[in-house]
Amino acid sequence: MDDELFLNEQVKVLSVFGDGLNPCRPLRFRRTNGREVDVTEIGLRHPSARGKRMMHIFDVTDGSADYRLEFDAERLTWRLTREADHCDA
Amino acid sequence: MRDKYNIEPSLIMHVDLNSAFASIEQQSRPMLRGRPVAVINRRTEHTSIITASYEAKSLGVKVGMKFIEAARLAPGLAAVESDPAKYRFVYRKLMAILSDYSPNVVMKSIDEGIIDFHGVPLSCSLVDIGHEIKKRLREEVGCAMRCNIGIGPSRFLAKTAAGLHKPDGLDVIDATNLRSAYETMKLTDLTGIAWQMERRLNAVDIYTPLQFLDTDVVSLQKVVFKSIVGRHWYERLRGYEVDDRTSETKTIGRQYVLERRDLAYAEIAARLHYLCESVGARLRQQNKVARGVYVYVKTAERHYWHASRMCQMPFYSDSTINALAQQLFFSAPGDAREIGIRCYGLSDDGNPQTSLFGDILVREQQLVGAIDIINHRFGDRTVHSADTLKTSKFIKQKISFGSTRYL
Repeated sequence: MDDELFLNEQVKVLSVFGDGLNPCRPLRFRRTNGREVDVTEIGLRHPSARGKRMMHIFDVTDGSADYRLEFDAERLTWRLTREADHCDA
Repeated sequence: MRDKYNIEPSLIMHVDLNSAFASIEQQSRPMLRGRPVAVINRRTEHTSIITASYEAKSLGVKVGMKFIEAARLAPGLAAVESDPAKYRFVYRKLMAILSDYSPNVVMKSIDEGIIDFHGVPLSCSLVDIGHEIKKRLREEVGCAMRCNIGIGPSRFLAKTAAGLHKPDGLDVIDATNLRSAYETMKLTDLTGIAWQMERRLNAVDIYTPLQFLDTDVVSLQKVVFKSIVGRHWYERLRGYEVDDRTSETKTIGRQYVLERRDLAYAEIAARLHYLCESVGARLRQQNKVARGVYVYVKTAERHYWHASRMCQMPFYSDSTINALAQQLFFSAPGDAREIGIRCYGLSDDGNPQTSLFGDILVREQQLVGAIDIINHRFGDRTVHSADTLKTSKFIKQKISFGSTRYL
């Protein structure tokens, strides 16, 4: 049941800004421990307002685990907030 | 008398997301795709499942089942806690897609909407539009998203058609195939017929939708339903529109199943206080004022206790709702497992009649208004009662299936 880790980790993200329905696409991120994760698919991107501050939530995967990246549109920072490997699923 | 079937063209489309919350989770978390998934509201094994994916359903998992029972049926069942912000986003996406086809779109719940094409110039058939909506849903939300679409001359027939082939079906029911569609169904497959109603129909020898259809209006009105509801069913089954009406908000409430059975009175009262704040926020969001408060408790022995109070003056502040609720709750039984509160006697928040205590009311109005502005600016529950400080980690904002009022 508890296959999700709740995190609050500032990460460095390589992303492209283009056009279409998903103009911002994170491609790779580097965690504080130095590990780099290649994003193979963006599952869903949804905005979430924290008061007047807009966060863009990216649920992504690297093919072996699912991650949640949060982009703070006011501070222009990325945080890794969830990791789930579904190993008990 | 509408004895014949409705032969009007089929201009109502019902769109229903398949296993909505579970599909959205599988969309957002690709590692869950193809696996049995159960969406739950609380991370405990004894919680009930609010949505199951089709993979889980095929293994016998049902909505409402305890997770611990479901996990026995479906080994490897993944439990995912509900994520209202994500579901609201998909709801808005779905609404935006549907609104591209007609100005008359009504969202019946978070996962289903109705498009009324009356008066809309059509350049292609509704079946083609249905396929296009499915395609757009996959492109604009995600490849794991599927929906059932039903088309008919009335809301009821369109919804019935949407339920014929799950998942990802697209069906039309009109006067030409209405009987054959009913032939394949059980009474409880009809929207609005649950087991109690089924028993009532069985009592007058109606066991199938076809027998229901063939029952005359007088019997339905005078014998089965003993009211105008019988006539409505007679017309509804024949494809006439009787469900095109909006319901008025009569109560606003919230309930909470206690996380533990051994909570002290003060701890339960703090959770009730949290519910009162939540109800107050919803009340003001709807621009309503209430005159009554209703509190209930379900005990561990499944007894139902309730108390209510109607006031002369309307109210809407969290503190007033809480004061009234706590007074009522004082005489509640001790072994509570679920608590709930509802505000009733609702009316629009116009200028209330001037009171002798007008200055007190104005002060309260200003205070509540200021708190609402702060919470809107900095996020929900930025300012709240100190009493509820420790309750936020237990009680969370959840989404109800049946209403789109708070989305």
